[in-house]
Amino acid sequence: MSNTLRLYLTCIRNTLDAAMCLQNFPCQEVERHNKPEVELKTSSELLLNPVLICRNEAEKCLIETSINSLRISLKVKQADELENILTKKFLRFLSMRAEAFQVLRRKPVQGYDISFLVTNYHCEEMQKHKLIDFIVQFMEDIDKEISELKMSVNTRGRLVATEFLKQFM
Amino acid sequence: MAAVEVHKFAQCITCHAWSRDRSMLAFCPNNNEVHIYALLQGKWEKLHVLQKHDQIVSGIDWSARSNKIVTASHDRNSYVWNLEGSEWVPTLVILRLNRAALCVKWSPRENKFAVGSGAKTVCICYYEQENNWWVSKLIRKRHDSSVTSVAWHPNNILLATASTDGKCRIFSTFIKVVDAKESRTGPSADSKFGEQILQLDLSFTWSFGVRWSPSGNTLAYVGHNSMIYFVDDVGPSPLAQNVAFRDLPLRDVLFLSERLVIGVGFDCNPMVFAADERGIWSFIKFLGERKTTSSGPKYGSQFSEAFGKLYGQPKQGFNNDTNEHSRSRGGVHENCINCIVPLGDPGSSKVKRFSTSGLDGKIVVWDMENQVDLAEYL
Repeated sequence: MSNTLRLYLTCIRNTLDAAMCLQNFPCQEVERHNKPEVELKTSSELLLNPVLICRNEAEKCLIETSINSLRISLKVKQADELENILTKKFLRFLSMRAEAFQVLRRKPVQGYDISFLVTNYHCEEMQKHKLIDFIVQFMEDIDKEISELKMSVNTRGRLVATEFLKQFM
Repeated sequence: MAAVEVHKFAQCITCHAWSRDRSMLAFCPNNNEVHIYALLQGKWEKLHVLQKHDQIVSGIDWSARSNKIVTASHDRNSYVWNLEGSEWVPTLVILRLNRAALCVKWSPRENKFAVGSGAKTVCICYYEQENNWWVSKLIRKRHDSSVTSVAWHPNNILLATASTDGKCRIFSTFIKVVDAKESRTGPSADSKFGEQILQLDLSFTWSFGVRWSPSGNTLAYVGHNSMIYFVDDVGPSPLAQNVAFRDLPLRDVLFLSERLVIGVGFDCNPMVFAADERGIWSFIKFLGERKTTSSGPKYGSQFSEAFGKLYGQPKQGFNNDTNEHSRSRGGVHENCINCIVPLGDPGSSKVKRFSTSGLDGKIVVWDMENQVDLAEYL
């Protein structure tokens, strides 16, 4: 792993550690409701200032915190059109299976590729540092996954092209 | 080690309270029930389950003298439970709330209790003999957000509240029917019900966990910005001190003496704050021992240990990144501590023991007896 990526991930890890101080908090506006405040945004005093961590223009991470929930949105590096399409398809595949990941949001926040929503219930069920580890690991793996996919698409393309061009030999 | 007993009763505990003789324990296992355990032949056994609420129970308080339990819940209701024979019988409390109740505390004389709520109000409840229910008077106006914590001054009149609008406020709760017979002294002598005595604007973010010192001279509350605030001489000219610390924010505080405060919260380890001779408060230490799981040989490359901690273990591949997390908490509690309760002898004013409960489902009893370095503050 390159050194800049490590710094980026360490920064996200530390920010998440400080931000993931969530608690059970019932809705102030609607009777008998208990919803993630970061999604509803009904009371401004229950939201904290969002934190934006950028590695470069293409890669950034937005962390929005409220009293009972936390939203992490990622923008993944997309160097060319192929990466763009692969990222889109791959993250869509993951988002559609969001229940399996528990903290994954079904739809990313606008302007980002994928979003996580962590609520106080997740913090009650799971260990906080494991949760942070999961998210950081996910960010680490996504880059690797995309470049592997790109590689296999290229290899396959080359193979197909070779096979196709053989008939003209 | 300061932790003398560790019990794991449930997956997750929101709040707990002890009976007067510490033989019984009530807690909410993060659902709509309250479980009561008793110590029978050296083992904790479940005696009763109080089921009346239909949402999570957010506050429990057990009165020492009258042996009543009051519970508050997110379902907007509160009940006072009285032990009749071997059954706990609930009495309805007319809270008149339309949002969740968040915290509850008996007053020192146990003739009133206060309920903080998500409706931006505080209810002061007292018993009405003729109707056989608890009625409430509301302090409506002042709060701009949910009331997260309430604390009674030892004089039974003043009530401090902490709210998510970041303010800490002090109200008079003088109720004629209940308090008329008792002598009124001190700064609350000429105040009506619901009158705001003081508003403290120290925190810029949510405040939680407010407590008075045993004498009522000092007030402490915490902010979500990892600060703890101490206020002396509550009245027209209060003296405030802010203490910032470098760890995660606190949720609740407890005065062990006039000069010693324990704070618990997201760091999963009780923090000790103390005042020196001049009355200057400062952070002293963590009470629990923190096992440093990843140190020494693991970072034994050419980097120094601090450098290694900052960047993880670059030589050993990313499989070790799971250990990189600098705050893998090796204390007694494994998740946020959200409740701290004193375990003092009812006779003496000194508190040497207290218990904490947290989202990891543990109830831990701490003893300050053998803490030599803190003995001077107790």
